[in-house]
Amino acid sequence: MQDSTRSSSSRRCWMRWLNEADEVSMNHRKIEGNEQSIFARLMGYAKPYMSSLILATVFMLITTALELYAPIVLGDAIDSFTEGAEFPQILNLGLIYLSALVGMFAFYVGQMWLLGKMGQDIVYNMRAEVFAHIHSMHLGFFDVTPIGRLVTRVTNDVEALSEMFSGILVRLVKNAVKIAGLAVVMLVMNYKLALRAFILIPLIVILTFMFKRISRTCYRITRTKLTAINTYLSEHISGMKIIRIFDREHEKNQEFKARSMDLFKANFREVMVFGIFRPSIYLLSIIALINIIWGGSELVFAENSVAGTGITVGVLYVFIQYVSQFFEPIQDLAEQIGTLQQAFASAEKIFMILDEEPAIVNKTEADKTENTSGGILGRIEFDHVWFAYNGEDWILKDVSFVIEPGEKVAFVGATGAGKTTILSLVGRYYEVNKGRILVDGRDIRDMNTDELRRAIGQVQQDVFIFTGDIAGNIRLGNSEITDEEMKKAAQTANADSFIEKLEHKYAEAVSERGSTLSAGERQLLSFARTLAFDPKILVMDEATANIDTETESLITEALERLMSGRTTIMVAHRLSTIQHCDCIMVMHKGRLREKGTHQELLAADGIYKKLYELQKAAG
Amino acid sequence: MLWKYVKKYRRQYICGILILFAVDMLSVYIPQFTGEVTDGLTTSGFTSSDVGRLILLIFLCGLGMAVGRFGWRWFLFVTARKIEREMRDEMFEHLTGMTQDFYNKNKTGDLMAHFTNDIASLRVAIGPAVISSFDAIVMTVLVLTKMILYINLKITVIACIPMLVILAGALYYCNVAEKYYTDKNNAFSDLSDRVQESFSGVRVIKAFVQEKHEMEEFDKVNSKNRKMAMRVVKLNMVFGPGIELIIGICRAITIIYGGWQMIEGQLSLAQFIAFNQYIGMLVWPMIAVGDSINAFSQGRAAYGRIRKIMDEKPEIEDTGKDNDITSLEGEIDIRNVSFSYVPEYGNVLDDISVHIDKGSTLAIIGKTGCGKTTIANLLVRLYETTNGTISFDGHDIKEIPMDTLRTEIAYVPQDNFLFSDTVQSNIAFGVRKWMEIPEEKFSLAKFRGKETIIAEIMDENLKKRAEQVDKAYGDLEQVEEAAKTACVHDNIIEFPNKYATIVGERGVTMSGGQKQRTSIARAIMKKAPILILDDALSAVDTDTEEKILENLKTDRKGKTTIIIAHRITTIQNADKIMVIDDGKVAELGSHDELMKLGGIYARLYEKQQLEKMLDEMAE
Repeated sequence: MQDSTRSSSSRRCWMRWLNEADEVSMNHRKIEGNEQSIFARLMGYAKPYMSSLILATVFMLITTALELYAPIVLGDAIDSFTEGAEFPQILNLGLIYLSALVGMFAFYVGQMWLLGKMGQDIVYNMRAEVFAHIHSMHLGFFDVTPIGRLVTRVTNDVEALSEMFSGILVRLVKNAVKIAGLAVVMLVMNYKLALRAFILIPLIVILTFMFKRISRTCYRITRTKLTAINTYLSEHISGMKIIRIFDREHEKNQEFKARSMDLFKANFREVMVFGIFRPSIYLLSIIALINIIWGGSELVFAENSVAGTGITVGVLYVFIQYVSQFFEPIQDLAEQIGTLQQAFASAEKIFMILDEEPAIVNKTEADKTENTSGGILGRIEFDHVWFAYNGEDWILKDVSFVIEPGEKVAFVGATGAGKTTILSLVGRYYEVNKGRILVDGRDIRDMNTDELRRAIGQVQQDVFIFTGDIAGNIRLGNSEITDEEMKKAAQTANADSFIEKLEHKYAEAVSERGSTLSAGERQLLSFARTLAFDPKILVMDEATANIDTETESLITEALERLMSGRTTIMVAHRLSTIQHCDCIMVMHKGRLREKGTHQELLAADGIYKKLYELQKAAG
Repeated sequence: MLWKYVKKYRRQYICGILILFAVDMLSVYIPQFTGEVTDGLTTSGFTSSDVGRLILLIFLCGLGMAVGRFGWRWFLFVTARKIEREMRDEMFEHLTGMTQDFYNKNKTGDLMAHFTNDIASLRVAIGPAVISSFDAIVMTVLVLTKMILYINLKITVIACIPMLVILAGALYYCNVAEKYYTDKNNAFSDLSDRVQESFSGVRVIKAFVQEKHEMEEFDKVNSKNRKMAMRVVKLNMVFGPGIELIIGICRAITIIYGGWQMIEGQLSLAQFIAFNQYIGMLVWPMIAVGDSINAFSQGRAAYGRIRKIMDEKPEIEDTGKDNDITSLEGEIDIRNVSFSYVPEYGNVLDDISVHIDKGSTLAIIGKTGCGKTTIANLLVRLYETTNGTISFDGHDIKEIPMDTLRTEIAYVPQDNFLFSDTVQSNIAFGVRKWMEIPEEKFSLAKFRGKETIIAEIMDENLKKRAEQVDKAYGDLEQVEEAAKTACVHDNIIEFPNKYATIVGERGVTMSGGQKQRTSIARAIMKKAPILILDDALSAVDTDTEEKILENLKTDRKGKTTIIIAHRITTIQNADKIMVIDDGKVAELGSHDELMKLGGIYARLYEKQQLEKMLDEMAE
């Protein structure tokens, strides 16, 4: 009846099913033969805990020995009853039995604690490793890999390994030892009866493994059906408007019923498989019992007539106990092999991520040491830069320009002209395909990326708000920024005006999804964030979102303060900002087409003039 | 709601419980017979035929139990699954009946949780938990009776005192375990959220060189997760072996006290052996009681949540369902219509009036968020007007049966929602009536444990079934015709399976423009007297747009069409153009009239002309 409640496992949210179903189809290319190397690599994680592992195995062996010994004490007790023993002798046996049990309890607890701790430590370490590794990847990696999949690697896939380390490994050994131990003890006690007991073993093994196979297949099918119905549900709940508009409620109800029936059938099959298997195994255990009683009683009869030719009733009793113990480890073994396979599948996916090399790395050891003393002045040069996100789809075509320290440059152009890409390339989030980018005369590929990025302040168009409070979102967890500095940054960025109006001021809780901040407020917050880090170079993607006029003037004012004394590269949309720039670069279809001040460009009567008129018309 | 199902399946419940009872009755006999054998063997005059008789009895008991165990699984587990399925269907039907407000209030994820977690908890409560609790009570009573009657009261009382500790322990454990597991799951979802956010904000993290800080933050949730997991490990580590220890104590008491009783002559050896086995049989009921109490309380909470959803009434009633209006001509009158989604936020539409003649075309244009889509939503009665009336052919919208209204209006919504089905099914969506499609049969033998293959086979089945559906309806010609009108036919025949290609994740991912045109084809296929295109050509290039508009002109001859758009080129040929600004009718008239007016429309036209010029400029 132990299979009856599996409530807690069903609590996992449906998203995970969807995720995993997706993984199944992803993993067709799984290589069958490398299980050994995966195992070896997994064991590498257990190396630091070798002493725990060995100690736990010793504990396990002791518990197993005691487990085998306990029924013998009972058998002795029975024999001593038939021999008419005195009470002290019985008391003695009872106490021996009790101390064996206490010993078993203590060692078992010790073993579980050691292994549980080891398992959780390994999970903890692996998580940190996978998380750090993913963060070391370049931006292009995040562009092509769905975030959900990465999250699954760090969370569920690693979780699947915990069971392997804290349970399966040692239990596998334990069950093997237990089966062997039982066999040896039985053979020593009476080889004839032992051999008789072994007759059924092949049958148990075959039945168990056959069942495991079928039940796992059934389970998979059920899960796929469940995924199907969950996908159907989430799709149709989102698409309910369409269903209503097209008056298809009746049709969809029928369709759902058909799917629901499908799932029911899969569930039904599963119930039936268990319903047939469990009683069959039970019946088999009864047959095993009968087998032992039958053979055993013959031997007892023999012993009764000629001493030394058979067994005592006590021995028979021990055998009866042992026979029922044979079933458990065999069924466990089948279960554990299954879990092990799942763990391997997860491990393979994790290792696949870990084996992925980050495309942007610091070149040599020497460059990894940060050169903070000199600092970056902020001269930026693009030297015949070509860039494509993939293949030959050039986003930038042969772009060259120089920006002197302290200069303010605006990039303008239609959507898709390559403006935003230029901003990403300056911080080396992507590698250029041809040409080079120089900061203060040094190729950025020869610089330490941390040093480079620290010198560049990014004001993003889409401000990402982390869960936490306002203060945390300004200093981004950098503890070197004091409260004063943080508040000063907010004041300079004109963000304090709205922050002061919040109920908890700087401690107001915010998050990406539950954010109540307006687009303008987010922009101001982003200014404050950048100011707090005091960069030499300012890289800015101006927000295009609708901003009310009051905030607009706050932004313009803050922007001026932000830009003063810094080399500024911006993608500009507002006429007001463009006109204040030292130089305007006009991008058109991946090329730098025009360059000059606002007045010069207007006089040239080219693309810029058109853009300018368009802005005016829209404004 | 639940009661109804229990009543419907009361026979199954009664049968199941009776079988359960019988199995429990039988199970007590096996230790008794085993005891009799060992007991008999110590007495003289016990022959092998006596052994044979007892063995036969044991076998019969075992067989009866095996059959019975299958029986109660059949009656109770299957019934619980059936109820689960019927409730699922009922819930889905309820959902299709709900109106838009309901979906604005309830998030998809929450609704999904009712279908997955809540129904599962409920199923456990009405199936396995019923079995566990009945079984536990019956077993306890039976075993105790046996112990008292067949053996003796004194030893029963003394040996069973520790059992109460198990019962108390199980109750305590289930309570604490629930909390610990919840804490653990919460820690795990905190971890997932943290990882999700960290990977989503990777651009900010890289820009501000905060990788180290991220590691530190991650370490906090990672450690918390480890701590919570360890709490569960520690709990199980004490509880599992603890039970064994207590059973051991019971056994030790039996040895000592039973031994004393045997010396005193109050207990026979057979009784002693049987008693030992009975003790083993009491363990499971003690745990089961704690477990099922838990399952019942969870089931009750889940049922409460489901009830809350099921008790909600749709906000828009089909007030006209009894009227005999089966078709619409296409004349629409909107008079003084105002609308607000939430009264506090003010009106989205304010006093809109327009008359659309049968067979004419009305265009609606205006800024994003000005209320254009709301007009369309009101026309298909997804919402009720706050003030004013909408009438078709002189009938108030409230007097028209909902299915007539929605059959007679074809609507192309802004979000181009397509279902994961074949292209053909998607286009024919609004036309097909429900038809029974036989289910694809697949045998278990095919899979033979190769789990990765299952997903492939299921995918293959999905495709086959979808093709079967399309074939059964035989509407390919009409579908093609609609697709040609919507200019998507040429794209579709390039898909791997043409019209039988599955749309979405499991098949072809369509581009925004293709989706939009498919969505148009879906509406055209309805051949309805009224067609609403809500910004339905935004992702289509200008040449194709022109072609579609041309096709529509012939297809929609004599029928009413409403086009909502941003681009002037889309609408300039409409009979009437309505410019909406801030929820009000700002301008109304033909293209020429509005151009002459020199207002919003004329400015928009000028801007779009400039954009076009810029776009046409050479590289």
